[in-house]
Amino acid sequence: MAILPMKINKTGRSGGGVICRRGLCWAALAVCGVLAQLAIPELLLAQATEGARQYGEFPLIGSRAAIWIAAQVHLLFAAFVLGVPMFAVVAEAVGIFGGDKKYDKLAKEFTRLLLVAYSATAIWGAILSFLLVTLYPGLWLYLVEIFAVSMWVYVGLFFFESFTLYLYYYGWDLWSTGRAKWVHWTLGIMLNVWGTLVMFIANSWLTYMMSPPADVTPDTAPGMVQFWSAFANATWMPINIHRIIANVVFGGAIVGAYAAYRFLVAKTDEERAHYDWMGYIGNLIAIGALIILPFAGYYLGREIYEFNQQMGITMMGGFMSWLWIIQAFLIGVLFLAGNYYLWVGMGRIPGAERFTPYTKYMLIVLVVGVMVWATPNSMIADREEIAAMGGTHHPFLGVLGVMSAKNTAVNLMILTTFLSFLLYRRANSRPTVDWARTATFVQGALFVISAIVVVFYGVYGYFVPAIVRIGFSVYQVLAVLATIVGVITIDVFMLRGAESRGDIQWGQMPPRSQYALFILAVTFTWLMGLMGFARSGIRQHWHVWEVMRDTSSEAATPALGYAAIVISGCVLIFFALVSFIFWLGGLAEKGSQVSSSKGEMSGHTEVAK
Amino acid sequence: MLAENLKIIGVVVGTIGVFTLLANSIPQVQSEVPQDLSFGTDVSAAELTASGELLYGSAGGCTACHGLGTRAPNLLTGNGSEGPIGARCGDRVSGESCKEYLYLAMVEPNVFLVDGYSPIMPDMRRSLSNDQIWAIVAYLEAQGGEVTVTGADINQGGSESGSGASTAVADNSGVGPANTSTDPMDILNGNACLGCHILDGAGAPIGPSFDGIGSRLSAEYIRESILDPGVSASEGFEESLGMMPAMYGDQLTAQQLENVVTFLVNRR
Repeated sequence: MAILPMKINKTGRSGGGVICRRGLCWAALAVCGVLAQLAIPELLLAQATEGARQYGEFPLIGSRAAIWIAAQVHLLFAAFVLGVPMFAVVAEAVGIFGGDKKYDKLAKEFTRLLLVAYSATAIWGAILSFLLVTLYPGLWLYLVEIFAVSMWVYVGLFFFESFTLYLYYYGWDLWSTGRAKWVHWTLGIMLNVWGTLVMFIANSWLTYMMSPPADVTPDTAPGMVQFWSAFANATWMPINIHRIIANVVFGGAIVGAYAAYRFLVAKTDEERAHYDWMGYIGNLIAIGALIILPFAGYYLGREIYEFNQQMGITMMGGFMSWLWIIQAFLIGVLFLAGNYYLWVGMGRIPGAERFTPYTKYMLIVLVVGVMVWATPNSMIADREEIAAMGGTHHPFLGVLGVMSAKNTAVNLMILTTFLSFLLYRRANSRPTVDWARTATFVQGALFVISAIVVVFYGVYGYFVPAIVRIGFSVYQVLAVLATIVGVITIDVFMLRGAESRGDIQWGQMPPRSQYALFILAVTFTWLMGLMGFARSGIRQHWHVWEVMRDTSSEAATPALGYAAIVISGCVLIFFALVSFIFWLGGLAEKGSQVSSSKGEMSGHTEVAK
Repeated sequence: MLAENLKIIGVVVGTIGVFTLLANSIPQVQSEVPQDLSFGTDVSAAELTASGELLYGSAGGCTACHGLGTRAPNLLTGNGSEGPIGARCGDRVSGESCKEYLYLAMVEPNVFLVDGYSPIMPDMRRSLSNDQIWAIVAYLEAQGGEVTVTGADINQGGSESGSGASTAVADNSGVGPANTSTDPMDILNGNACLGCHILDGAGAPIGPSFDGIGSRLSAEYIRESILDPGVSASEGFEESLGMMPAMYGDQLTAQQLENVVTFLVNRR
């Protein structure tokens, strides 16, 4: 152990640039941390046989809060460094295939953010690992006994990921044309592959704690647990899919906040225009991925019920029932802030004023939707309160608290948000095709039909058993998705060769719109913390569900108020650090950003489409 | 620049503050770790009563039937004009003291069925430990009467009447299913399901009949109804909604649950 920091320092000194040295240094530290822990099991095993302690103590905040904060902040950085490469490589591809250099430049700027964030991910990964070993040695030993092989693979992939990232970023200008550019793009793809595999491996460890195989009991020695059945457990793939999409949402939101900050402190019009455009792209990615995230969440929830219905009931009802009300409020904020940003943004698009009168109706739909979605179903109440209400459901509001009403509300909110995007997209275009009027009518009809389908099944759901009602949500979702796909398809063809009503005035955005991007980023981050609490909290007093019990003094699952304080602490830590490293990143590229932006802004008009 | 930075910090901190305040303004419920009660011989009446009160409204599930509705006698506020249970338990069965009667009523509930009520109560040994049952007995005695349960009662493992329940109770000190049989009929009988459901003509029509249930309901719906029976009522049984205790998810093993679901879905 004493040798490792010296190696890190040597590696750092031999690096090329400031960022590179930091990245390599911390990546090496994180890997050393994991390697050290893999060596520690021998010691732990010896301790365990001597009846050594199962838990350590952390001063002031306690072990649970310490491990919680470390895990959450690590996950936030990890989500960012996994999400951003996805749309960096897509942006680079758009640049290659479309021949538009500004996308290539955008992809490089995304990757530069990635580089500095990667260091923080590694630092917090090392902190998390060391806290696990010192505060929860019993659990760590148990997991190592089962997952040791995958931990070695994880370490290897981590190295591949790190060096692929450095090659990808520092080779950007070197491999910028011809076949070399394709090689460079392949590096971007490989970066995503390594990152995704790393995430999948880590997900197997945490999902095993949620849903161990049925044949694993408290009496099963960890060495006897079959590796693959533990690795590919019941909730592993649902979590993988959910996290991939959530990472894209989160990455888009953080990029949007970064662009908003750079917009607000920009000193030139060119700089302001560039970051206005970048903020728009970040918001588009975040909201676009957010729309499909609930479907992944539904899949995960269904698999949790399939694995253990009692766990599902604990998650959706009981002491966690109010968590979903808070979640509804947060998602309501996301929808409102995302739409607000689009509506304000229409102010810089010539021709958008013709759509302005409709925004108030869309706002009404969104606000009513949030209110319905945030209505509790059954409430935690004492006997007197239940008697006063005449049951566990409120006599009036209870009608709105059921899934029929909530599904209807959320689907209408998604439709409304999509309409906002469509109006934004078409604001400065005048179609020239003969069939434009008919196509617009068909698009309107699709909106109306899907809204009718959503409302019809929402109302009909009150008159059928629960098992039938659950199936209705599929019809509602399909109607909304079909409308989105159908309308966009028509729009793409209809706007080919369309006349422009004027270029988008990038940079002419009121500052208040940029604060909406900050609210989006903070809300996404807080929501991730809340959902992390939900996922982990449903294990209640088990380290590994119904296999390894938490016997520490902090085994009780805390109430939402306490959880909110911890989550807020994590979000503050994350934003403080991310502000610092983005500022650091800004220093490195200062001066190189704006020069290449000139002359490209006219091309940004097309981006809105 | 500084002003802009301060504004941004204000927006970020303000947004986080709103979420934190919101989450702290709703009912705060902590998920407690289930406690395996273990009383010594010197346990006090106050300790027993306090534990019993907690169990009565939570893990015991007693209020589901003995609380608001009329499906079982209200033990706390009186059964008609009879008064709370502690004041009348000693007179319920000749030769049985209050605590003996209450104990037997929990472990063999259908032996002393009160007139006018259906035999729907399960043997509480299936969901509660011996110490927990005695704690509830003490709590019920305290409702208008004097607590006579002592540590000796608990640690002897049964009632003074020698009802024979003590042996079974001693084997059920932990959390989990008491009946390990995976035979569906054993599970249905052991959990007193036929106290409310009819199977092959036997049982009580308080809940939907098991006969032909597979042609009416899917496996998923049956499973959900067992685990979370308060979600929805079957047609014609709306008034029974909330009567079935939501404790079988804790009592049954996954194998037992699946065997029961499979058994019922095949009743076509």
